[in-house]
Amino acid sequence: MFGRYRDTFHQESGDIMVETGSVDGLLTYRRRCEGQTFERILVSKTGEIVINPVEPGSLPRDITDFLLMEFPPMMIEPGATQTVYLKFPVEIGVFIESARDIEVLDIFGLGTQKYTLYGPPAGGVIALYCRSAIYPDIPPVEFYREGVMELSVQNLSLEWMEVSCAVFNSVDMKIYYGDFVATSATMRIISRTLAETDFVDAPLRPGMEKAVELNRARKIPVLNRGHLMEWGH
Amino acid sequence: MALNVTEILEIPLGIGEITLVNILYFTVILTVGVIIAKIAAINVRRILAERLPKNESELFAKLVYYIIIIWAFVIALPQLKFDLSGLLVAGGVAGLVIGFASQSVVSNLISGLFLMFERPIKLGDNINVADVTGSVEDIRILSTVVKMYDGIYVRIPNEKVFTSNITNYVHNAARRFTYEIRIRYEDDADAAIRIAREVIEKHPFALKNPAPSVFVDNFGEHSVNLTAYIWAPARNWWDVRTDLLWKIKQALEENGIEIPIPQRTVRFVDGLEGKNRAVEMNGGEE
Repeated sequence: MFGRYRDTFHQESGDIMVETGSVDGLLTYRRRCEGQTFERILVSKTGEIVINPVEPGSLPRDITDFLLMEFPPMMIEPGATQTVYLKFPVEIGVFIESARDIEVLDIFGLGTQKYTLYGPPAGGVIALYCRSAIYPDIPPVEFYREGVMELSVQNLSLEWMEVSCAVFNSVDMKIYYGDFVATSATMRIISRTLAETDFVDAPLRPGMEKAVELNRARKIPVLNRGHLMEWGH
Repeated sequence: MALNVTEILEIPLGIGEITLVNILYFTVILTVGVIIAKIAAINVRRILAERLPKNESELFAKLVYYIIIIWAFVIALPQLKFDLSGLLVAGGVAGLVIGFASQSVVSNLISGLFLMFERPIKLGDNINVADVTGSVEDIRILSTVVKMYDGIYVRIPNEKVFTSNITNYVHNAARRFTYEIRIRYEDDADAAIRIAREVIEKHPFALKNPAPSVFVDNFGEHSVNLTAYIWAPARNWWDVRTDLLWKIKQALEENGIEIPIPQRTVRFVDGLEGKNRAVEMNGGEE
């Protein structure tokens, strides 16, 4: 389903159907996902439809840029680095692109979302919550539902550290897709309450395609600065 | 007879010693002043366009415009043989009068500047200030504009905003709201708590952390009263509140738990049968 399409097309996979076709003589984009439908008339001669996974956090409504990954607690010794694999929820973005511009047409996804507060109500941030097991290798995933996050955790402090969550600014997220959806991230633990997280702009496996980012389509300039977790990890 | 322009220009016009040359100089100085003022105002507007809201940049541009015009006017006045020392005395008195009259304007201006620096409210925030509840539409130099939830426009002087208690409902990332859920005495309160929790946990914007809390709070006259504390993103809490309440009610009813109808048990001392008999006897006598 992921890829670029011109004119009319029809793609169906499990509970998801995406197509463009002529309805009453008008080119119409239609989507069905778990019973929810979406329709838009397209007026375009040169436009291309681009479908790819996008940064999670836009469903059911775009309320935050933060993603909180919770996982079973890990104890990390001072100075140690460990790469682990987590599963994160995938959202699917549909873009309409012409030579001059690209715009978000639709965002949908399988499953339900849950949001949480990271930090205190005053000063904390709302984040999309997802819980994952920790995998030593790339785990098998449901293609349109889950992606794989390669997380490199580094303990920069001089003490043993327990870590059970990581908060990311999904604006910085770089998603690649191929046989599965993937992203790479780093987490540098500074102290018991502080940690830095960031995304790495590199495919997890050679040959993976880079996904069009929502912020590019929304024309939001992004400075990749990572995120400083100030309320523990 | 030859026409001497210089002589013509220097002929007194009959208003004191003012000549045509004086009038000409006065007009030229004012015209140049107006041109400079317009150029300066355009540049101020352009420079501030992206840094300040439109109304504030407009205010600054007008301020610059009128200051330059007044400056040009003061420079041009001696051409009309006007004694500026008299103007200074008059200006001093006028300044005093204007000073007293503009007390509240200056107070609003200073309060506006403090509000801009302290930033207790931002555009779009839901606030309550000076008994006005609504969303902030604009924060100007002299006043703050609030759109009440029923769409009414309210302009509050900045001094009042600054000196009042400001409640900003969306300043924090999350806020809590409460439901009181009443169930019948014969219903299973544990089941009701479990069902309510399940419904809350399914809602995407009922926050995972801080966790929702549902518990038996007190025993009412007709019902067992449960209380639910739910945290939601501050900007979405109203949607969550309105959405969840009905879902909880539906889920409880689907499981046979109902909201009680107020009931009162009345007992007669002689029993209902004895009372009826007395009524019958009274009717028979009549």
